[in-house]
Amino acid sequence: MESQEKIKIRVCQGTTCFVMGASRLEGLETQIPPQWRQKVEISAQPCLGMCQKAGFMKAPFVRIGDEIIGSATVDSVLEKLSGIFK
Amino acid sequence: MIEDEAVFIDIGTAQQKKNGQNAYGDFIASKRYPEECRLIAVLSDGLGSGIKANILANMTATMLLKFAAAERNLIRAAETVMNALPVCQVRKISYSTFSVADCFEDGTVRIVEEGNPEFLHLHNGKVVAHECERIASQKFPERSMRTYVLHLEKDDRLLFCSDGVTQSGLGGSLYKLGWRREGLIDFVESRLASDPVLSCRRLAQEVVGEALTKEPDRLAKDDISCMVLHLREPRSLVVFTGPPYDSNRDAEYVGLFMRYPGKKVICGGTTANVVARELNREITTERFVKGSLPAGSRMDGVDLITEGVLTLSKAVEYLEDDPAVLPDDAAGRLVGLFLDSDEITFMVGAKVNQAHFDPDLPLELELRKNIVRRMERLLTQKYVKQVLLRFI
Repeated sequence: MESQEKIKIRVCQGTTCFVMGASRLEGLETQIPPQWRQKVEISAQPCLGMCQKAGFMKAPFVRIGDEIIGSATVDSVLEKLSGIFK
Repeated sequence: MIEDEAVFIDIGTAQQKKNGQNAYGDFIASKRYPEECRLIAVLSDGLGSGIKANILANMTATMLLKFAAAERNLIRAAETVMNALPVCQVRKISYSTFSVADCFEDGTVRIVEEGNPEFLHLHNGKVVAHECERIASQKFPERSMRTYVLHLEKDDRLLFCSDGVTQSGLGGSLYKLGWRREGLIDFVESRLASDPVLSCRRLAQEVVGEALTKEPDRLAKDDISCMVLHLREPRSLVVFTGPPYDSNRDAEYVGLFMRYPGKKVICGGTTANVVARELNREITTERFVKGSLPAGSRMDGVDLITEGVLTLSKAVEYLEDDPAVLPDDAAGRLVGLFLDSDEITFMVGAKVNQAHFDPDLPLELELRKNIVRRMERLLTQKYVKQVLLRFI
């Protein structure tokens, strides 16, 4: 099923996430398969505030829709998206 | 007298060496005392030119600056220096002449001049004349000081120069008696009429440039120096970095931040979120990375939003290295705002983010408080800014 609303992907650019590798997620935009590009909206966020409450999860954090993923990499974000778009 | 109004004493100087010399024979020195809302500036002209004059002028100006700061009574300090300066054994004339201005932000200025051309006081772009009190040296009959106590208003300027300015062109075919004070006044008044917001630095540069054009072949026959002081509206900047210790007071501090006059900067993602939440405004971030730092973000009513400790640390680096061109990253933009401001207030939130001390982090993050303190030292000592730290 195709949703009209774009899925919001927010990459945390807080200090902890940045040093833990959020800067590498910049490549996400170019690595997203063409068929998904119109369905998502990617942007950075000053801080998602997750490092202080995420429990066992680790920075960098990315929010996909309402879901938070920790230790995010381009691959883990794409994997999550494939779950959503399957 | 200026009351209940914020004022900043700006200073701008320009100098030209005597043709053929490799050192300035005039010396300009100034020091700011932020806690006393005071600035002391000295212009000294050493006898002769080149290295010898430079040493004499430097010594005179440095002594005056130190004495004036230590002694509340400027006239006594200047008198001490006037009596202490030796006489050249060859020419039997004074070693150096000087002008010293002790300025307070309430507009009170004490001026003492010995030997230098009389200063210009510019009010609404026009020169205002002042009566002086003369104090003769007890030791040297040919020396006397002119002393003045002025009460300036906001936007008033004071212009000091060495005799290289007023005597420029002397003996030439066009200016037999030199440019003289009258010529200088005409020039300064017409420049301020066409550009009332002319900066101190620019005005000083233009006076020196104009004096040089009066000289035959544009070759300075004497050292030419100009120093301009301007009592103007301060340019303020407030930097909000770190969330307040007591989150119940977030709204109060955000209100304080937004009411602050001047430019506004937020350094820190969590801090930006606190401000956005309290004001119900949206933060927009387009790019991820700019240079080696997270890119800046935007919010209505705030001039710059950056990440916290990494950007602040980088900004300290830029302030230390003082690059000719600031890099186009968030720290470079922050330093640019610092350099354009006279008064900088830091609102430093005391809440510590435990995640910054996670041993898994690939680098050690410094405490925000320590970075800001280093920044404060650099801004006050190296860049002569007025800095206020508020830990909240």
